[in-house]
Amino acid sequence: MTDIQAIATPTGSVPAELVDFVVHEARLADENRYAEWESLWADDGIYWIPTGDHKDPQTQVSFVFDNRHRIGSRIAQLLSGRRHSQTPPSKMRRQLTNFEVLSDEGGEVELAANFSLFEHRYTTTVWAGRYLYRLRHTADGLSLVKKTVLLINNESAIKTIAFIL
Amino acid sequence: MTIRLEQDRLAADAVDYEELIQRDRVHGSLYTDADIFQKEMRDIYESQWVFVAHESEIPEAGDYVRRRIGGQPLIVARGKDLKVRVMLNRCTHRGNMLCQSDAGNATLFRCSFHGWTFSNDGRLQGVSFRGGYEQSLGELRSELGLAEAAQVGTYGGFIFANLTGDAGDLEDYLGNAKDAIDRLVRMSPAGGIDLSAGWMKHDNNANWKVVNEVQVDGYHPLFVHESLYKAIKPAKVDYSSDELRVAVRDLGGGHSEVDYTAEYQAQDREFIWFSGIPRSRVPNYIEAMEALHGPEKTHDILVEGPPHTFIWPNLFLAEMQVMYIEPLSVEQTIQYTAPIKLLGAEEMSARIIRQTEGAMGPAGFLIADDAEMGERNQVGLHAQEPEWVLFARGFDTEKIEPRGITSYDRTSETSQRGMWQHYRTLMTETSND
Repeated sequence: MTDIQAIATPTGSVPAELVDFVVHEARLADENRYAEWESLWADDGIYWIPTGDHKDPQTQVSFVFDNRHRIGSRIAQLLSGRRHSQTPPSKMRRQLTNFEVLSDEGGEVELAANFSLFEHRYTTTVWAGRYLYRLRHTADGLSLVKKTVLLINNESAIKTIAFIL
Repeated sequence: MTIRLEQDRLAADAVDYEELIQRDRVHGSLYTDADIFQKEMRDIYESQWVFVAHESEIPEAGDYVRRRIGGQPLIVARGKDLKVRVMLNRCTHRGNMLCQSDAGNATLFRCSFHGWTFSNDGRLQGVSFRGGYEQSLGELRSELGLAEAAQVGTYGGFIFANLTGDAGDLEDYLGNAKDAIDRLVRMSPAGGIDLSAGWMKHDNNANWKVVNEVQVDGYHPLFVHESLYKAIKPAKVDYSSDELRVAVRDLGGGHSEVDYTAEYQAQDREFIWFSGIPRSRVPNYIEAMEALHGPEKTHDILVEGPPHTFIWPNLFLAEMQVMYIEPLSVEQTIQYTAPIKLLGAEEMSARIIRQTEGAMGPAGFLIADDAEMGERNQVGLHAQEPEWVLFARGFDTEKIEPRGITSYDRTSETSQRGMWQHYRTLMTETSND
């Protein structure tokens, strides 16, 4: 498991290409642009929201542990127009900061960022935590291989997360 | 002798529950009135058996988990004598919360306020600067152990507790729901289940009864879960068919179930309840089950599958998941969901965890929408007209079976009527004291 405490690349030297990619990903998620968001994923993509910072998804339950197929199902359900928990969809804006490159080898980069997310649906809910991304360099640019969401309140009861976190 | 000033006289004691809960309808205020909620916590959660934990969560001496009953914080711990105790999480000195971790292992609980220590069986061990008391340490120890639930019992590994001691025998309380626990446990070739994969915790802005009602509701799936069935995969049975052999049953005592047995038997297919996986995916499980039961009985068990049974007032055996609720206020309920690992069937475990995440919890393809309905329900119930919530479906389809009042119309509201009739009994008994 990635050591999330590691001191890595100083923010100023994180390649702009990586920051631009995850800022774009955040914007697509914020604006519920589901199909465009899905297109960022690699075929072996994993979207993971654990129920604690140090969980093993093979033996412990997560809030979300989607392989690429299930990411597709999640998006198909949102696009059906009958996903009640996102009808109407959340209005969202999220901020990404404190970028760090945790590793860079074999054409894949692990990037970390802190985030805060303001989500409005009936009332405004604040979500916060750390994103860990695994990004792959391909002939067509970057693709998203893994996105891990470490919510600060992941060991507590959380509100519905039917939107893209 | 307990002095409970504010709770001894509740405004809700004066309410006529026989008027508010009728045969085919209940009054909307039962979901929104804060005084009634207080009475429910006193007369249902604190005075009756409730589920608190599963033995697999605290397998070793010293293991503990924190839980709540009716807003009261608890430590459910296995002492060094291996006995399970349900203790109130409150230092007997000045009332500080004693244990802060959700789960762990401890021989002693030390109060962070003044350093008093309690052993994991609740006895007072040490008092800092003990010379300051008139009594001897021995006297203090005998008087100031942690408060405990008056009754603790287990069935099939499920731990139930009752705070006051007035709840009678555990097996009498479980009644016809006992068979549902047996039905779950028999899915394991080693005769047991394990909840060590942990809980998803979901914060619902809905009354606890709203959350319970939908768990055994055969009327809602086509509407609430339409997006799943249309965009991802069809339901495991055809809820739109009037030929569907799914029973809705009031088991008595507030327990109820949606029983798929007859439909599964008619189809005679294994694992309908588990995405229809072929036997070849779980060869060791099949082998262990056949070694124990023989081929015919194994086939029957794999066809009939696990229970879909609600155990009053807070536990739900949701096929391959265990769910329970903690009511926090009249409008807020925490729903917990754990995947079930079947002992002796390890190759099923990862699959069950993935199934749980797909369907259940705050991001689940099913439960996120059930939670949304619950929250909309809670908002709607604040409208004062019409006063009544209807549970009138399917009276004329009901018949008395040995397991309880049963309707083979899956859309009947038999299960909710069962919950409400039991609720009426509990709320009326104490009002008339």
